[in-house]
Amino acid sequence: MKVTVVSRSGREVIKGGIELHDEATVSDLQEAIHARTKKYYPSRQRLTLPMQAGIQGKPIVLSPKKKLVDYCDGNVKNLTVVFKDLGVQVLYRTLFFWEYLGPLVIYPIFYYFPVYKYFGYEGERVVYPVQTYAMYYWCLHYSKRIMETFFVHRFSHATSPLSNVFRNCAYYWTFGAYIAYYVNHPMYTPVNDLQMKIGFGFGLICQVSNFYCHILLRNLRNPNGNGGYQIPHGFLFNIVTCANYTTEIYQWLGFNIATQTIAGYVFLVVAALIMTNWALAKHRRLKKLFDGKEGRPRYPRRWVILPPFI
Amino acid sequence: MAGFLSTLRRIYLSLYNWTVFVGWFQVLYFAVKALREGGPTTVYGFVERPLQLAQTAAVMEILHGLVGLVRSPISATLPQIGSRLFLTWGILWSFPETRAHILVTSLVISWSITEIIRYSFFGMKEAFGFAPSWLLWLRYSTFLILYPTGITSEVGLICVAVPYIKASEKYCIRMPNKWNFSFDYFSASILALAIYIPGMFICIFFVYPSQAMCRKKLFSLSSDHITNIGRKSTHVPVYAWAAQEGSLQVKDG
Repeated sequence: MKVTVVSRSGREVIKGGIELHDEATVSDLQEAIHARTKKYYPSRQRLTLPMQAGIQGKPIVLSPKKKLVDYCDGNVKNLTVVFKDLGVQVLYRTLFFWEYLGPLVIYPIFYYFPVYKYFGYEGERVVYPVQTYAMYYWCLHYSKRIMETFFVHRFSHATSPLSNVFRNCAYYWTFGAYIAYYVNHPMYTPVNDLQMKIGFGFGLICQVSNFYCHILLRNLRNPNGNGGYQIPHGFLFNIVTCANYTTEIYQWLGFNIATQTIAGYVFLVVAALIMTNWALAKHRRLKKLFDGKEGRPRYPRRWVILPPFI
Repeated sequence: MAGFLSTLRRIYLSLYNWTVFVGWFQVLYFAVKALREGGPTTVYGFVERPLQLAQTAAVMEILHGLVGLVRSPISATLPQIGSRLFLTWGILWSFPETRAHILVTSLVISWSITEIIRYSFFGMKEAFGFAPSWLLWLRYSTFLILYPTGITSEVGLICVAVPYIKASEKYCIRMPNKWNFSFDYFSASILALAIYIPGMFICIFFVYPSQAMCRKKLFSLSSDHITNIGRKSTHVPVYAWAAQEGSLQVKDG
């Protein structure tokens, strides 16, 4: 069959189109486009079916594993696809590694080195136990994240745009430094012992739960399947759609209860807002997919992310 | 029901835009009055109230964007409103020593002319469904001058205020305290100054060229009316100070 590849403005991206055998997959097409253009490796290509004039809605994205004939409506000899360049891509693993490495390295710098001299605080620092435990807790958290990135998570998309590296690193590294500055400050005021224990204890329980949630999510995602979506189940997923985000938020709450800094709480709120955004989208997507029709199961009534609020 | 809500929205936005338009018109009127009667050092005294009201009212626009009443990306409106409120309340109101400076005049003139054009433009679109092409022309053209003069005035006034900010310790929170928090207004102001640099960079290299493209596209066509449908998001989001909240397209024919 002949595939015509056009840009969104109608211009032909591959002059003369591409000839492929009838059983070819989208992935084969992507390889062929890469061979013809050199610059556009497959993860940079976004291929969609042309939008019908007058019909609203999102364009249908071609899935790499499917066959091209699945997207042909009748005419098996010709197919037109719309090409979009997603820009330079990096592996999600790479992105996550760099964004988590920052906090892991920056926080101990504030703990171990005489950084506060440069802020005008001369003299020896008295270090409270809570500050030491906070440093261990923080480093444990980000080490865990890096570990999960390489050994646990299964990513639905392999890559992310390069610009996200700068944006995400700015977010994590800046907040990391902001919180580290206050918790390790020479004039830091610790909370009482019981509050510290409750905070770290609760936080650790949530971190372990969070890890377990990630294991469960990993096992949900098997390579064969309907676009990778399944109804999450097991452990807290039976009552919350995004139990992984729930445990993450509560884990930071534990850290903040123990360390009590405005900086830490600001980070908690911002992170919770970002995750809630994601959770709402995921919950909506799952409810739409599992609508109970045509033999599909119905998505059960569940909290979205943060019982008892939402 | 949907038609009723949409009409309500139009009425509300018309009222909002025209009301704030009147506010900024007052600012310009009083500024010119001050210049003629007392000279540049008296401008602030004449414009203070309408300026504070009109500028603070703009906070509503963040709400409008958040609830989806208008199509603006709040990532564009937030920095602009932030810098405006910072200047209006954090510099001019908080540090009277800055009020007699000549930059206050250029600031007030730049802001008021821009806002008069902007709010009347949106007021027209919401109330009457179209905006005259000369108004659109004004929007895209005056920004080329008013943007630099406005930014220069903002940056300049912050610099003028800096020594007073440092000396007064106003708005500063010191440690130790129970919440382990500190805030140094002087450092925050320096940081604000620093943010203007990438802001200006983005404008010179992204906003100006995309505006120029817009102008070429829009004014090479001979339609008298510009109605709003929806703009393709292939353009870089244009900085809200000069442009509008993302809904502009030329009507065919």
